[in-house]
Amino acid sequence: MVGYVARRLIMAIPVLFGVTLITFLLMHFTAGSYVPGLQLDPNLKPSDIARIRSNLGLDRPVLVQYLDWLGIGAILQQVGLGGLLGGGHNIDTGILEGNFGRSLIDGTPVLTAVLERLPNTIELTATAIVLGAAVSIPVGVVSALRRGGRLDQGLTAISVAGFAVPQFWLGLMLILLFSVTFHAWHLPWLPSSGATSPIGGGGLLDRLEHLVMPAVVLAFFYLSNWSRFVRSSMVETLSQDFVRTARSKGMTERRTVYVHALRNAIAPLVTLVGLELPGLVSGALIIEVVFGWPGIGLLAFQRALQFDFTTVMGITTFAAVLVVAGNLLADMLYAVVDPRVRYA
Amino acid sequence: MIESNELAAPRAAPLEPAGGRAGRGFWQHSWEELRSNRLGIASAVLLALLIVVALTAPFFSQFVTHFGTTQQDLNNPFSAPSRTHWLGTDELGRDTVTRLAYGARISLGVGFLTVAISLTIGAMVGLFAGFYGGVLDDVLMRIVDVVLALPPVFLFILMSILFRPNAITLSVIIASLGWASLARLVRSEVLSLRSREFIVATRSLGARNGRLIFRHVLPNSLQLMIVAASLGLAQVVLIEAALDFLGLGIQPPTPSWGNMLSNAQEYFVHSVWLVIFPGLMIFLTVLAANLLGNALRDAFDPRLRHL
Repeated sequence: MVGYVARRLIMAIPVLFGVTLITFLLMHFTAGSYVPGLQLDPNLKPSDIARIRSNLGLDRPVLVQYLDWLGIGAILQQVGLGGLLGGGHNIDTGILEGNFGRSLIDGTPVLTAVLERLPNTIELTATAIVLGAAVSIPVGVVSALRRGGRLDQGLTAISVAGFAVPQFWLGLMLILLFSVTFHAWHLPWLPSSGATSPIGGGGLLDRLEHLVMPAVVLAFFYLSNWSRFVRSSMVETLSQDFVRTARSKGMTERRTVYVHALRNAIAPLVTLVGLELPGLVSGALIIEVVFGWPGIGLLAFQRALQFDFTTVMGITTFAAVLVVAGNLLADMLYAVVDPRVRYA
Repeated sequence: MIESNELAAPRAAPLEPAGGRAGRGFWQHSWEELRSNRLGIASAVLLALLIVVALTAPFFSQFVTHFGTTQQDLNNPFSAPSRTHWLGTDELGRDTVTRLAYGARISLGVGFLTVAISLTIGAMVGLFAGFYGGVLDDVLMRIVDVVLALPPVFLFILMSILFRPNAITLSVIIASLGWASLARLVRSEVLSLRSREFIVATRSLGARNGRLIFRHVLPNSLQLMIVAASLGLAQVVLIEAALDFLGLGIQPPTPSWGNMLSNAQEYFVHSVWLVIFPGLMIFLTVLAANLLGNALRDAFDPRLRHL
């Protein structure tokens, strides 16, 4: 197990370097020297612009900027090799030291902004993932047990529809129904935007009211994905030898299905849920935009529109690290639930 | 002269007819399987209809709806579905049916172009990585790992803001990340094909690598690619609509289903149809592409049908 984990960890390192390099180069070659507002300000002389850009370190060679952004520059300086990068500039700490840079808009550290929004995003996506997993298991099992029946067909139709419905449209329709129409009919209605009410909000009930719609839209997507998976996995498991053995020993049908078969059928679901862990951070962007949910996705979207590239770059890197970590975790979880994997 | 021809003929004979016959048999069999799948055929017909509407949108607008995409009917803003405007009008009195027909051009155009680009790149990478193995495989697959680790939504937003895309650049942007999963899929198929007897036999007959890849491995993984293309089309239509909805894709006044929805957001409290119909179009297109993909998979590999 330790060797397996170590091997996977080592394989993740070049991937992370590649991700940071692509993000950085994309940014550099398209917007590299762009500083929001600078070119438009008539009060600035060309020499001032040059000085500001020089202060931001934008006049250095690409490679030096990249290494500095990574934080390798600071490491090199500490071991006395700072000269390799060319002198004359302050070498800052970088993402390797947890410094994701500063926003081009307000100069605050990107990491602070991200960490401020992170709890909201995790609240939304974790609720959706738990909800999706909790509902998809019974739905998948029932479908598998009544394979080909009317209930199975109905549930399958719903999950096929769940794959095809645009999340933002579903969100709009829910807002239309539960916020607009219910309000017009003087029924109890749900708030359409935000995570808490601006006035007197923040209580548990208030938060739940705001959470329900975006979480359900997101959960519906997971649900349609996972219930199909549980269904086919359960169908396959029920046809295996150990299930027949259990039945032929005279074990009750209920115990055979719900204890023996179910445990084996849903073990692979662990991997699937694990693969969604990166989605904890990046998966909900469009839903956050539709519902005005103050999470990381909305932050990235708003800052991107303001050309705050350092923030977007920071969030992208942050999310990419989580994707790699999530994949790693999913593999390990799978190795835990299914010992055969470790020796493969 | 005659002798050499006679020599060449028997050497080629065991290869070509056998391959040809087996190929026809497989595709014919799959077609019969597909034809018996009512849901799959219905999806195919729906997609075909949408393609026809998309291709003939200008004729459609001139002879059927009698409205242009940007033609305003300022006496009739927010009109409900009626005899003149079948699906109503928006805030400027523009005809929804006409705009939906033009929107189909964007959605399907970007969809097919993106799938074509990502499938071409993905298939090439997958074929070469899987067939040659070794260092080439390692390098290509690490690149695939990197691309798959990039969070797609953020990257799409970033690139859309930087490049201000039209339909073609938008396809390139989506395909720039979309090829990676296809490469991985094709590679695993190639890995299993590579060691099959017919490939080994063809190689022992002296076929060169290029011939093996393009005449034997590629045709035998076509079924996989067709299924992947159909399912991929569904995903691309969703992504494209989402980017338009966020205001990062196709810009007004060019109508697309996504930017029509984004526009409708302001008015949907009093004009429900403005938000219902574009959403339905996206839903139906994605549904049809998904169902067709599933039907094709069942047709190509009947063993999977009953799972």
